[in-house]
Amino acid sequence: MSRPGPSVAAVPPPDAMLWVKDLVKVHRAQGVPSHAVRHVDLQVDRGEFVAVMGPSGAGKSTLLHLLGGLDRPDSGEIWLDGRRVDGLPESRWAVLRRRSVGFVFQFSNLVANMTAADNVELPALLAGIPPRQARARREELFAELGIEDKAGSTPAGLAGGEQQRVALARALVNEPGLLLADEPTGSLDSRNTRDVLRLLSRFHERGQTIVLVTHDARVASTADRVISLFDGEIADDTAVGPPSGTSNGVADVLRLES
Amino acid sequence: MRAVLRWELADLRAHRAQAALMVLVTAVVAVSLILADALLVDATNPWQRIFKQSHGSHVWLHVRPGVNTSPLARLDGVTAVAGPYRTAPSTLVRSAEKVSLELRAVGPALPAVSRPLVQTGRWLTPSVTDGVVLESSLAHSVWAGVGDDVTVRSVDGTTHTLRVLGTADTADQGPYPDWTPGIGWVLPATLDRIEPDPARTQQAIGLRLADPAATDFTAQEAVNALGSAQVAEVSTWQQVRSAMDLGNRLLGLMLGVFGLVALLAAALAMAGGAGGRVLAQVQDIAMLKAVGFTPAQIVRLFLYEHTALAVAGFALGSAAASLLGPLLPGPLGQSMVLWQGQPDHLDAIVATGFGVVLSIGLATALPAWRAGRVPAVPTVRSDRPAGRMSRLARLALLLRLPPALVLGARDAFHRPLRASLTVSRLAIPVLMITVALGGWATLDGFQQHPQRVGLAAPLTARPTGLDDASAQRLLNRRPGVAAAYPGVEIQALVPGETTSITMRALGTSAHPYPFAVAEGRGIRDTDEAVAGQGALDLMHVSVGQWVRVMAGGTPHILHIVGRSIEPDHNGDMLSVNLDALEGPGGLPRPQYYALVLRPGANADAVRAGLTAASHGRLDVRPTADPADQLGPVRVVVVGLVAVLALIGLVELVTATSHALRDHTRDVGVLRAMGLTPRQIATVVVTGTGLLTLVAVVVGTGLGVVASDALINLQGRASGVGAGIAQTPSPWTLLLAGALAVAAAVCVCVVPARRAARAPVTSALSTF
Amino acid sequence: MRLALLALLAKEPAHGYELKQALEQTFGAAYPQPNIGQIYVTLGRLEQNGLIQGQDVSQSSRPNKRVYEITEAGRAALAGWFDEPTEGPRVRDDFFTKLALAPGTGAADRVALINKQRRHYLNIMRGLSRLAAAEDRDNRIAHLLIEGAMLHLQADLDWLERCQEELE
Repeated sequence: MSRPGPSVAAVPPPDAMLWVKDLVKVHRAQGVPSHAVRHVDLQVDRGEFVAVMGPSGAGKSTLLHLLGGLDRPDSGEIWLDGRRVDGLPESRWAVLRRRSVGFVFQFSNLVANMTAADNVELPALLAGIPPRQARARREELFAELGIEDKAGSTPAGLAGGEQQRVALARALVNEPGLLLADEPTGSLDSRNTRDVLRLLSRFHERGQTIVLVTHDARVASTADRVISLFDGEIADDTAVGPPSGTSNGVADVLRLES
Repeated sequence: MRAVLRWELADLRAHRAQAALMVLVTAVVAVSLILADALLVDATNPWQRIFKQSHGSHVWLHVRPGVNTSPLARLDGVTAVAGPYRTAPSTLVRSAEKVSLELRAVGPALPAVSRPLVQTGRWLTPSVTDGVVLESSLAHSVWAGVGDDVTVRSVDGTTHTLRVLGTADTADQGPYPDWTPGIGWVLPATLDRIEPDPARTQQAIGLRLADPAATDFTAQEAVNALGSAQVAEVSTWQQVRSAMDLGNRLLGLMLGVFGLVALLAAALAMAGGAGGRVLAQVQDIAMLKAVGFTPAQIVRLFLYEHTALAVAGFALGSAAASLLGPLLPGPLGQSMVLWQGQPDHLDAIVATGFGVVLSIGLATALPAWRAGRVPAVPTVRSDRPAGRMSRLARLALLLRLPPALVLGARDAFHRPLRASLTVSRLAIPVLMITVALGGWATLDGFQQHPQRVGLAAPLTARPTGLDDASAQRLLNRRPGVAAAYPGVEIQALVPGETTSITMRALGTSAHPYPFAVAEGRGIRDTDEAVAGQGALDLMHVSVGQWVRVMAGGTPHILHIVGRSIEPDHNGDMLSVNLDALEGPGGLPRPQYYALVLRPGANADAVRAGLTAASHGRLDVRPTADPADQLGPVRVVVVGLVAVLALIGLVELVTATSHALRDHTRDVGVLRAMGLTPRQIATVVVTGTGLLTLVAVVVGTGLGVVASDALINLQGRASGVGAGIAQTPSPWTLLLAGALAVAAAVCVCVVPARRAARAPVTSALSTF
Repeated sequence: MRLALLALLAKEPAHGYELKQALEQTFGAAYPQPNIGQIYVTLGRLEQNGLIQGQDVSQSSRPNKRVYEITEAGRAALAGWFDEPTEGPRVRDDFFTKLALAPGTGAADRVALINKQRRHYLNIMRGLSRLAAAEDRDNRIAHLLIEGAMLHLQADLDWLERCQEELE
């Protein structure tokens, strides 16, 4: 039941960062099973920026959680950077996530008791990086993201956009191969959305592989590739490029008549 | 791991107050357990030390004069014999004090077995013909020291002056005044001088055994060998030890029980607090997992945190106990000093610490394990309260109760499992506090209704050099005295038993003494008796049976018709009417009179008046009241209530944060529904308040039952007898319950108000 | 464009080329530039209807330029335009018609149609993002215009999603 899109090989090709075959996940809520993800095949190459769109309840978040090991699939294969990860126990996944997967969620989900700096350094310390190095990396990221002066604040003292930037820093502190983002701009206003998108693009230009889930078309159009998920299945997988033919700017959408 | 440490520091900083509270509670538990350790260790108990050092005798017999005691040395298992020493009863007079004294004739050489351990001064010497060495507790009681002159009055009334040469410790008998008469050692010549009539003397013999466990058997054999008519009194080392150690042991047990109870409550509170924190931090834990913490790391996270708090608390407590313990007054301080001199006392502290930390660790293991199982993808809890309103709620609304209260009540109980867990957790400290209050009430009962616990007569009068008729006249004429009951106390042997019990003949059939009878009925006939629990246990009989005792050389067959409450002598007391001892010579001469005073009469005034009126020939003394020694118990009760209240507070805070977390989700909805912030706060406060109310009712109810059961159990075990337990007065319980509910409301109000006023958006977005 | 020119002239009199420049400045690169010919034609029509009045002004080294000025009637018309709420249906392209009539024709598959349209919208969206990035930050009008277009696109895409859900 695969949909149009790049054909998926039987074995993961060497420069596929993420390779998924026949992934299935069934939710059991209140006794009624519902298929969240049905027989999804997916390949994301190194350095690609993929957006996953679809109506709510289509399974986008579930798919993302499965890709990051936060949830276990019922069947199917997931290969991350050349190694098979779908059967890994929770603890192995946790170790893998430290260095290989970064997560950004809609509500930044920072630890409320710790400062922004501590929040970002935590994964680095966890991965065994010495504290001084962790701090240096954190300072570098904060400067890049424009929040150097917020290092000592707790999340409660940060605005939404700043919180999300801290979350981004936390996700990237260990230079993970894959960045997974679940509606990262979902609770931000348009200005902050623009800032976060700009930052994502910047990291993408440096080679970061990004898979993000969104319902916002603007966010999706920043990506190279948009996958449409309907009812747990991939309905469309298309590259996003410059508009065909001549672009008339806004006139392609609106016509001003006076 | 560094990451774990960072998290823990941040977490502790955010929950400073709760952490400090737990450390404090653990410290208190540590202090009480360490003090209990010190008191319960055998080495610090006086008897062990003295017996070993003095080569004590395991069995002491008092036999009639002239009896041949050599068969005793040949008994199986007897390795050595102390004595026989001639003894004579007398009275020691010192300023206003008159105490009964047993003079024991011991040669100038210190005996090998049951050697008195001279503490101050020196032992008897032939050069001082009127010297006496007093037993230490006796000397302490009468404030007699080395070099003092004491007056000793013999049975026939003649007085002699003796000089105190020294004081000595002995393991022959219990301390004065628990065990009377006290002992004074004199040279044989001195004894002859004071008591020339051999018929009024006795012989005291001590037997040292190869196997202490064979004491009972050997004592039986000894009595058989001599004939029970010849033996006046038998005592074993177990009796002496329990008399000597009683104070320490009782206090040690109380502190131990206190410590364990507090540990249990503290562990439960910690577990509850930990569980609450896990629930509150579900989002954070999911995030930690997303960032790369393994489940095992998360479990360790929680365990380390709570274990660290427990270790900190124990360290604080043990430091406090070690530094301040020796400074405490009374047996507590002494035991601490002695114990710290022991080589293995550090081991005991470490072992206790291990136990405390392990208990707390185990208690928090379950919440920690649950923390590890939190899914990395936090699911929104979709258990909205059931849409239907219960009939009760509808009724309440019909009655026009404020809707906020109704909502609060419904919220509190709509999840029965959670509600019952909270109620039981809150009920436990309430239950324990009620038991403690029951202890207090029982002590009050001792003081306010002494007749109910066998202390009907606060004064005892002994005539010295006064004939009975005049004595009775004086006593009955005194205005404060309601009645004077003549009494005699003698030792009685029960055949087949190895120890003697005290037989008290008090009151006459015309004028019976009001014994405090807990079971059965009082004495009505000459051959009837009531016995204390201790005596019943010793004689292996129960109420309604007949016993045969040998007292004063004559057998008596008595029908036990009731059980009396005997706070003295471990309850080894058999009480009869004076008529029971009627012999050919008529009623025996009363040794003393038990004086029951009129209500409102001042004991001291009556005492002074009688002493004056009799020109000193009536020795009036207050009856020993065991409740006096239970002063430390009151302190322990206060301490226990305080710590339990603290623990209850911790549980309340946990319950409150639970409730608030639930409601934060609903606040936005409630506001949209039109409730004002004040009403919303009322909803939360009502919920917690109602749960506390239910917990108080349940806890108090169960606590009253438990208190009665436990105290009566203790009473029965100690020989005093069941039936001493008093339940706390209803007003006390009501007040305590009201305080608990008020505390719950107070703890709840401020956070509830803050949550109710939180901006709606934040309330709605946090889930 | 008629009333836009009227509004510009209500501020101050201007000639055709100035008006062209003013229009460009208003919307920046976001909206395609009107060519000068269209402007002159519109100006002519306005003058014919009496809403503006033109006057030739001689220049030294150049051909005469015609400077226009708004008339009272013009101001009245302008006021009327501002007063009324702007009505009119949103113009829907014939995509929906395509979607509705595709089955049965044998010429197109609904899902393929929807996917193609989605791709198209996303590409436009990308273009708009680029425009917004390139546009002068202070030109709030231009940015609002772009944002308006994006919102419409979002609505279109949402509608596409609904169509896919319902018509599958």
